[in-house]
Amino acid sequence: MSEVSAPVAGWVCPFCALACDHLDVQIGQDDEPLALRGGDCPRARSGLQTFASRSADVSPTIDGRNASLDDAVAAAARQLAASRQPLFAGLGTDVAGARALYRLACACGAICDGAGGDAAMHVLRALQDRGQFTTTLAEVRTRADLIVFVGSLPTDLAPLLAQRCGIGEAQLATRHLVVLHPRAGDAAALAAMARNGVSVESIAPDGDLFTTLAQLNATLARPASSAVPAQPSAAGAALHALAERLRRASYAVFIGAPLHLPAHGALIVEAVHRLIGRLNAGTRAAALWLDGGNGAATVNQVFAWLSGLPLRSRAGPRGLEHEPFAFGAARLLEGAAVDLLMWVSSFDAAALPPPCTQPLLVLGHPAQASACARRDAVFIPVATPGIGVDGHVFRTDGTVLMPLRTVRPDALPGVAEVAQWLLRARRGLSQP
Amino acid sequence: MSSVLLRGARIIDPANPGAPSPRDLGVRDGRIVEPVPGERWDQVIGASGCIAMAGGIDLHTHIGGGKVNLARMLMVEDHRAVNNPHALPAANALELPSCGRCAPGTLATGYRYVEMGYTAAFEPAMVASNARHAHMEMGDVPVLDHGAYVMLGNDELFLQLLAEGGPDAHNFAQLRDYTAWTMRASKAMGVKVVNPGGISAFKFNQRKLDVNEAHVRWQVTPRQVVHTLARALHELGVPHPLHIHGSNLGVAGNIDSTLQTIAALEGLPAHLTHVQFHSYGTEGPKKFSSAAQQLAEAVNANPQISIDVGQIMFGQTVTASGDTMRQHAQSALASPRKWVGADIECTAGCGVVPFRYREQSYVNALQWAIGLEIFLLVNNPWQVVLTTDHPNGGPFTSYPHLIRLLMDRSFRDEQLARLHPEVAAHCALRSIARELTLDEIAVMTRAAPARLLGLRDRGHLGVGAAADIALYHDEPNRETMFATPLVVLKDGTLVARAGRITATPVGGTHFVEPGYDSAIEKTLRRHWSEHGSIGFDRVAIDRDELCRCCNGGRLLPAACFEGSS
Repeated sequence: MSEVSAPVAGWVCPFCALACDHLDVQIGQDDEPLALRGGDCPRARSGLQTFASRSADVSPTIDGRNASLDDAVAAAARQLAASRQPLFAGLGTDVAGARALYRLACACGAICDGAGGDAAMHVLRALQDRGQFTTTLAEVRTRADLIVFVGSLPTDLAPLLAQRCGIGEAQLATRHLVVLHPRAGDAAALAAMARNGVSVESIAPDGDLFTTLAQLNATLARPASSAVPAQPSAAGAALHALAERLRRASYAVFIGAPLHLPAHGALIVEAVHRLIGRLNAGTRAAALWLDGGNGAATVNQVFAWLSGLPLRSRAGPRGLEHEPFAFGAARLLEGAAVDLLMWVSSFDAAALPPPCTQPLLVLGHPAQASACARRDAVFIPVATPGIGVDGHVFRTDGTVLMPLRTVRPDALPGVAEVAQWLLRARRGLSQP
Repeated sequence: MSSVLLRGARIIDPANPGAPSPRDLGVRDGRIVEPVPGERWDQVIGASGCIAMAGGIDLHTHIGGGKVNLARMLMVEDHRAVNNPHALPAANALELPSCGRCAPGTLATGYRYVEMGYTAAFEPAMVASNARHAHMEMGDVPVLDHGAYVMLGNDELFLQLLAEGGPDAHNFAQLRDYTAWTMRASKAMGVKVVNPGGISAFKFNQRKLDVNEAHVRWQVTPRQVVHTLARALHELGVPHPLHIHGSNLGVAGNIDSTLQTIAALEGLPAHLTHVQFHSYGTEGPKKFSSAAQQLAEAVNANPQISIDVGQIMFGQTVTASGDTMRQHAQSALASPRKWVGADIECTAGCGVVPFRYREQSYVNALQWAIGLEIFLLVNNPWQVVLTTDHPNGGPFTSYPHLIRLLMDRSFRDEQLARLHPEVAAHCALRSIARELTLDEIAVMTRAAPARLLGLRDRGHLGVGAAADIALYHDEPNRETMFATPLVVLKDGTLVARAGRITATPVGGTHFVEPGYDSAIEKTLRRHWSEHGSIGFDRVAIDRDELCRCCNGGRLLPAACFEGSS
C-alpha cells in the first residue's frame, strides 16, 4: 500500500460491538482499500478492506440496472407506497439513521426487526420477564476476578474481547477464566489466554447448557458447607468447584453471546440472571451480553426511547404493537406476512438481505450492489458511519454511546438522508 | 417571528411582585414585551377570566438516558396498560406514535408535559459515561428545553483523590478542577451526588453506608464527599448548587442521615432532592413514621437549602435510580416481580425497580402523607419545588392532581380518608389546614426552579423574559385547571391549545461550562488509560457534537457566578 499520509489516529471502529478506539486507519490512494494500523483485529481489518481509499462511485440500481439517485428514491418511494405491510430489517445504521428510520417506519406502518433479531430477543425477553443485572467493560477490566464465558468464547464476534476485559493486565493480581460448554476450538483459544496471574478452565459437562446452569443454580442454593455429591463425575466436580469459586469471587462476570445460544436461548439468559441474583445476595456478580454489532442494538435503543417500545414493534393501523415472537423477520418473510423487505446495512458488506420473494429495497454498503441486483429490487448505496460520515453507535454494554468520526469523505448519502427523502417522496405519492 | 397579544389575563408572577394584574401580555420575537397602545399583533388571544403563568419547569424528572431506556424495555406491560395496542395519535399529524405512562417514550414525554403547560425539564441523573446518550434522548423530547445534572461522588477517581487528600483535603483544587472538567465534558447543568460513595461501595460488596461511615475501599465518608462537591460547585460559581440524593434512601429512620447531610454542608448551599424518601422516622408500632416536621424545621432554619419533594402517587410506576445499593435492597418489593441493575464504568450505577403504591399499604399511605406534610410545613415556597421524582414517586402526569391536593383541604381530607386506617387516623396531615395559593404553586412549579437553576429569563413574565407562557381557565377544580391549559407558548410559538399539540419546535439545551486549570487533564488522561474503556480524547462532548446529539436545538449556556473562587 502506498502510504501517502499519516494514519488516522484514534479511529473508532464500527465493525463489532466493542467499538474499540485504540486502532488507526491508513488511507492509501484511489482504489486501494483502507488498512488497519497500530494493532490488529480480524474484524476491523476485513471491515476496512471493503472500503476504497477514495469514496466509491457506485450507482443505485433499479431491477439490477444502474439508475440515478433521484430515480432510485422515486422507485423506492413507490414500492413503499404500494406496500400494505412493509418489513424494515437488518437495521445496520447509527443513531441519526435510526431517528430518521423511525419516522419513515411510522409513516409506512412498517414492522422493524434488526439483523440477529432472534438472538437480540433472547436478552430482551429475559429482561422483560425477570430483569437483569449487568456490567460494563471498564468494570470488568478493573474488578472481574472471575469471568465465566457462557456457551462459547465469542472472540469470533469480538476478537479483542480479552484485551478489552483487561485479561493479562497487572491491575488484578489474579483472574480465573472459565468457559462453560466450549465450542470446538474455544478451549485452545482460552488456554492461550493463560499467563502469570491468569488461570483458565474449560468445563464441558454431559448434557446441555440449560442443565448445567440449572445444576449451578441448585448447587448455589444449598449452603456452602454442603458436601460434594457422592462419586461425582469429573464435570460434576468441576461445577461444584465453580460454584465455590463464584461464592468466593469478589466480582464475577458472566459473558455470553446470544448469537451463539441455541433456540430458546432466553431461558439460558434467564438462568444466568438468576445465578447472578443469587450471588448478589452475598457477594458481587453481573452479566455482560455481547451483541452482534453493526448497528441493530443502536436502533433498538433509539426506537425504544422514541416510541417506548423496543424492536419487533410497529405503528400499525390499530396502534403501537410489540410482538417479540410474531414480528421476527424470517417468520414474516417465510409466511408472506409482509409484502416488502427494506433492508438496511451500512456497516457490513457481508450482511446481505435474506433470500425472499417479496419486492426488495436495500439501503446498503456499496459492495452489496451486485448481490442486490434482481427483479423488483431497488438498491441505494449509503455511506458508512465511522468511514464516510460521522455518527454514533452504542457499545455492547449499552451505556457508552461511541462517537464515530469520518475517516475520509464520502460522496454517498447517509441512511438518515435517504430515509428523509423517502419519507418526503412517499408523502408526495400518498397525497392526491 | 410572529407576535401575540394575550389580552386581559390575571397574571400570577411571583418573581415580579407588585406588577399590575390583570393586564395585557405582549410577545414578540419569542420574548415578553410591554404592549404599546395601537401596536399591531399577528394574533390576539382574549384571556380575560384566565390565569397566565410562566411555563412550568420541572427541575427533577427522569426523562432521558440509560436507566430510563432500561425502564421502558422492562415495563412492556406499562405500554399496554391502557390500550393494547396503544392507539396512534391519528387525530394529530404533528404527533408521532409514542406510548407509556410511567416510562413513556421521549416523544410522549414532550407531548404530555407541553399539554400541561410545562416548557422545560431537567434530567437529574446523567451518568458521565452515558452523557451522549442522555443528550440524544433529551434532544428527542419535543418542545421542552432541557438540561442534566452529571453524577459525581461515586466515581473511583473522585473517591481516590478524596482519599489521597486526607482529612484536610489538601488536594481540593484538583477535585474542584475535576468537577469542572466533568461538567464541561458532559455538557451538564449541575452536579448530582447519589448515595454519596454508596454506589461505589456496593461494587466492593458493602451493603450500607451511613453519612459518617467509611467506604470499605477508599476509607472516605459520605460526609466528605458531600462537603467537597458542594464546596467545589460553590467556588466554581455554578448556579445550581449540589443536587443531593442522600444516604439511606427509603430506610426507616433515615431522617438522621438527612439531617447529618445538611450538617455536613456546614452552611454551603445545596438542593436536597426527593426528600420525602429521606424523611422517615422509626416511631409507632410499625417502626416507620413521618419525620416531615423535623425535615421542615431543618429547611426553615437553613435558607441556603432548597428541596424538591418527590411526592408519591398511588398506582403503578417504576423507580429508576442511580442508587444501586438501595435499589438492590428494595428489589424484593418489586411489583411486578422483576428489576434491572447495573454497575457502570467505574463511575456510577443504576437500579430500575417497578413499584405499585397502594392506598391500603401502611408504608405507602404514610409516604403519601409525608410528602404532603413537607409541602405544607416548609414556610418559604421558594425553597420547595413540586416534583414526584418522575417516575419514582409517580408519573409527571399526576401533577395536576397533586396541585389540587395542596390547594384544596377538603379534597385532601377526602383522599386521606381512603388510606390505611391507622395512617388516616393518626397522621399529622389531618390537622394541617394550610392550602397553597396560586402564587405559591407558581413559585414551586416555575419561579423557584428557574431561580435555583440560574435561569434569569425563565420562570417569570417580566418584560424581556422568554415567552414561555401557560394560560389556564380559572376553574375551582385546580386539577382540571392545571391538566389542560387553554394555550401554551414556547419562546413565543403556540405549541398547545386546549390539550392539543399545535407545533413541535426542538427544545434548547441548558448547560454550564465552569473554568478549570487544565493541569488536571494529565491526571485524567492517566486514569482513563489505566482504568477506562474509552480513550481520553473521546470522552468530552464539544458544542458541535452536542448540537447533533440534541437534534439541532439551541445551545443555552448559562453563566457562572463571578468571583466565587
